[in-house]
Amino acid sequence: MLVLGIDTSCDDTSSSLLDISDNGVEIISNIVSSQAEIHRKYGGIVPELASRRHIEMIWHVVDEALKGTKPEELSAVAVCYGPGLIGSLLVGCSFAKAMCYSAGIPLVAVNHLEGHILSVFLAGEKPEFPFLALIASGGHTCLYRVDDYLKYTELGRTRDDAAGEAYDKVSKLLGLSYPGGPQIDRMAKTGNPKAIKFPRAYLPQSLDFSFSGLKTAVMLTIRDNPRLNVNDIAASFQASIVDVLVRKTEWAIKKHRIKRIALSGGVAANSELRKRMTEMAEERDAELYIPPVSFCTDNAAMIALAGYHHFIRGDTAGLDLNPRAYLPL
Amino acid sequence: MRVITNSPDETKKIGFKFGKLLKPGQTVCLYGDLGAGKTTFVKGIAKALGIKERDIMSASFTIISEHEAEIPLYHIDLYRIEKGADMDTIGIYDYIGGNGIAVIEWAEKIDIEDSIKVNINLVSKDKREIIIEGINEKDWNNM
Repeated sequence: MLVLGIDTSCDDTSSSLLDISDNGVEIISNIVSSQAEIHRKYGGIVPELASRRHIEMIWHVVDEALKGTKPEELSAVAVCYGPGLIGSLLVGCSFAKAMCYSAGIPLVAVNHLEGHILSVFLAGEKPEFPFLALIASGGHTCLYRVDDYLKYTELGRTRDDAAGEAYDKVSKLLGLSYPGGPQIDRMAKTGNPKAIKFPRAYLPQSLDFSFSGLKTAVMLTIRDNPRLNVNDIAASFQASIVDVLVRKTEWAIKKHRIKRIALSGGVAANSELRKRMTEMAEERDAELYIPPVSFCTDNAAMIALAGYHHFIRGDTAGLDLNPRAYLPL
Repeated sequence: MRVITNSPDETKKIGFKFGKLLKPGQTVCLYGDLGAGKTTFVKGIAKALGIKERDIMSASFTIISEHEAEIPLYHIDLYRIEKGADMDTIGIYDYIGGNGIAVIEWAEKIDIEDSIKVNINLVSKDKREIIIEGINEKDWNNM
């Protein structure tokens, strides 16, 4: 069956058409129109620009994703309704509702985080259930136990900043441009990760994360030692983030005795995280699944796939669907 | 009014005490550098309103986080907003002066009349100076 996905939760307008059957998932299209260029000069997302850009782009992006398929031929339209920027989410939701209403097809509401968890089923080796899913991105850092499609248990999440947000904020402190992750990752390769001892908030009694103290420590270090080598700061900062993400995933493996891990979200593109997570998985004799980078970052294929699983279980949304900025899974 | 705190927990406690004094419709403007403890302070306010402090995360990403409670809390974070940006289109004003309490981080980027102002200064690694303007000092001391 043909399912169209739409995601406008942050700064990318994306739409994807999937053909899903018992034999598997065929990705007919996965269109992502990034706004990174527009937001770069502001050092972050500018919400009103994001919404306006979504409005300009959505029709083209959906058209391109459909590749000539008529809306009436779709089994359902799956749209991301949160969490995210409210003005941006509204564009995708309104568009999807209008499309479903005019073509008389079902609408399915998908949580963005659920999309990230299921992105591991879009390409490559697929894990068996149960597995552990770590999502690390600019807006989210959370760890789930996944027992089946639609059966997610949150094991931990950030209590303050997301991992990718720490990257973006530190990159701004270092005078780098947005988004900060790829640049810090590159600079860290020639820096000494042991040059500065940044804190690691392990929060021993829980699987929650905290990156706010690290951000503060970096800020104070830069303020008090303006002549430090920036590559050393980048490498030491990255070492702290990666140490915590890997260690807490390892704790979850031990605690839940589940030796399958799926990694997704924009930070999953980070080379050091991939390397260290792979080493840890080998030591623990665990299987590690990381989708290709294009499915780690925001995309609508993951929304379409999650939407399919809701749809076949009869879970459709009404045309009164409202997006939510804050929407825990 | 000026308070010194020596740990994030103490900052949270001051936020809690401050939160107990807030009334529906009030707006709190928070000022302070990256890492000063603004979100930590908001966690304290949330707890005072019966919202789980774990539910308060950085709102930098979504700009606005709504938290349902008897008195709803609108946690707003303007970190990523350009100074002088058109706040109308972002929808910030929809949350101000209603049934809930709006708490705005990086409030220097917006003009709000009639707000309570809280400055958090980063003195050293753990030490913070919190300056609160716009509440009745008697009420504070009576708590």
